[in-house]
Amino acid sequence: MANQLAETAVEPRPETGKPISGAKLSGIIETVIVVAGSVPMVAPFLWMFTTSLTSGARAFDLPPNWFPKDWHFQNFLTLFQSNVPFATFLWNSFEVAGTVTLAQLLTCSMAGYAFAHVRFRGRNGLFALLLTSLMMPMQVTIVPLFLMMSSLGLVDTHWAIILPLATNAFGIFMMRQFFLTVPRELVEAARIDGATQFAIFWRIALPLAKPALASLGIITFVNTWNSYFLPLVFLNSWEKMTLPLGMFALSNVYGSGNVSVIMAAVVLAICPLLILFLVAQRYIISGMVGSAIKG
Amino acid sequence: MRKAVSEKLAGYFFVGPSLVGYLAFVLGPLIAAIGLSFTHYDVLSPPRLNGFGNYARLIADPRLATVYRNTAFFALASVSITVSLGVLLAVAVNQRLPGPLKYALRTAYFFPVLVGMIYAAMVWKFLFNRDLGVVNYYLHFFHVRPIAWLTSSSWALWSVILVYVWKNVGFTMLTTLAGLQNISREIYEAARIDGAMPVTAFFRITIPLLTPVLLFNVTITSINTLQEFDSMVALTNGGPGDASRSVVMYLYDKAFRSFDMGYASAIAVTLFGFIGLLTLLQLWGSRSWVHYG
Repeated sequence: MANQLAETAVEPRPETGKPISGAKLSGIIETVIVVAGSVPMVAPFLWMFTTSLTSGARAFDLPPNWFPKDWHFQNFLTLFQSNVPFATFLWNSFEVAGTVTLAQLLTCSMAGYAFAHVRFRGRNGLFALLLTSLMMPMQVTIVPLFLMMSSLGLVDTHWAIILPLATNAFGIFMMRQFFLTVPRELVEAARIDGATQFAIFWRIALPLAKPALASLGIITFVNTWNSYFLPLVFLNSWEKMTLPLGMFALSNVYGSGNVSVIMAAVVLAICPLLILFLVAQRYIISGMVGSAIKG
Repeated sequence: MRKAVSEKLAGYFFVGPSLVGYLAFVLGPLIAAIGLSFTHYDVLSPPRLNGFGNYARLIADPRLATVYRNTAFFALASVSITVSLGVLLAVAVNQRLPGPLKYALRTAYFFPVLVGMIYAAMVWKFLFNRDLGVVNYYLHFFHVRPIAWLTSSSWALWSVILVYVWKNVGFTMLTTLAGLQNISREIYEAARIDGAMPVTAFFRITIPLLTPVLLFNVTITSINTLQEFDSMVALTNGGPGDASRSVVMYLYDKAFRSFDMGYASAIAVTLFGFIGLLTLLQLWGSRSWVHYG
């Protein structure tokens, strides 16, 4: 319907004095709604950004400030100058998210390739088994996971977060779907020329998979960067905390008196996401949306 | 012959790391959780079998009933709103709009999906402030009296739902949009020639052809909302009282504040059962309403 509406709806037409058609009218109404709806989508970010550049005393001004007036950069400096280990949180988040991303790129592409192009017994059964973990969130297995990590002495280390996240059923599924689009003949031809499966994977399949790897990598990085539950369970010293954990703990310690500084911290935490999104929007969308369409 | 053997070995080698990860961090812990749910375990002394003791406690625990009610309500409201709003927004954006406007709208609706719930909640917490918050400030122009969004038991859970929808509607919108773009224009053209009204076309063509995407969105959002934790912790900390506490929050408290590991495991097992059952039901039930065209 929408495509049809579009034909008549938005293109400006010379005034003919005819009454507006129903389709045209509903197209206009839809546009107004979707544009109006985007205001509450954006407003929280605008408020966050403005408040991060406002002195603490004026942060709760009503009517609210929607654009920075005094450009109070001090809030950002406070994050790095005070005894708040903000830089440490930032580094920890990069370290954990980066390691998890590299690990998943390797494990998921290997498994995805095998499920698409290598023949071995139990292949379909194993694939189905791995997919069941989509229904088994870490929240459900957290108690044994914690007991395991504590008996291994890994509590309060980043390994406790990295290891459980080092592979992921969604990633395996995504990579398999991609490798299925690589023609079987290409793989067979290389086999006949005497290439081993490792060589085919490394020299032929992986280079072809760059777009899928980009999607998976970005999605994994974002999810790990944002993750709160696992760090909450496993990390307890300030030097080890990741951003969401450390920042939330601090915001409770400081209370609302430092709302400007807290918003400055949120701005910095969101910045990498915004940059990633603007640079690699199509990979993010194709990765997330592709699974819905092909699935 | 040697080639076939090496091919098999290669297969296991490629799958190996993922399989080990799955056994060690998903299946193993799941089986362990089931085992632990039949024990009393307070970390200090070794686990002690107590049969169905934890399950008997579950049934008699009024707080568990409350957190299950909250979770079910949260999931039902969030799923229905995010999925249906996603369809409406996708249909509206799928018109022939000017390119930059389309890009801006897509960015505006989708960006919150990438922002961690903790960050989103830290911002919304201030916006929802009863006396100084932006939300109540603008509502007062419509003669709405100040609402205690996060601290009144009638609003707390709704506030969490609102933030969840705000953060996730971009995802259902984009998946639906992709589904819409897969529908060929000729179908609508044919319907128009046959004299179908736009509304008829929407319900007879658009919605049926979108059902695979709708199923995907419903399933994924159900699984996610049934295990929700971050938004409640960061916005209301489950309060006031237990008014916005989810099952996973309660499980976390039992496990890591009371160190009641056996009971927490029993809660986890019931939650896993519900998620698994619901997912299977949705997939099974989908045969009657999903059209793969």
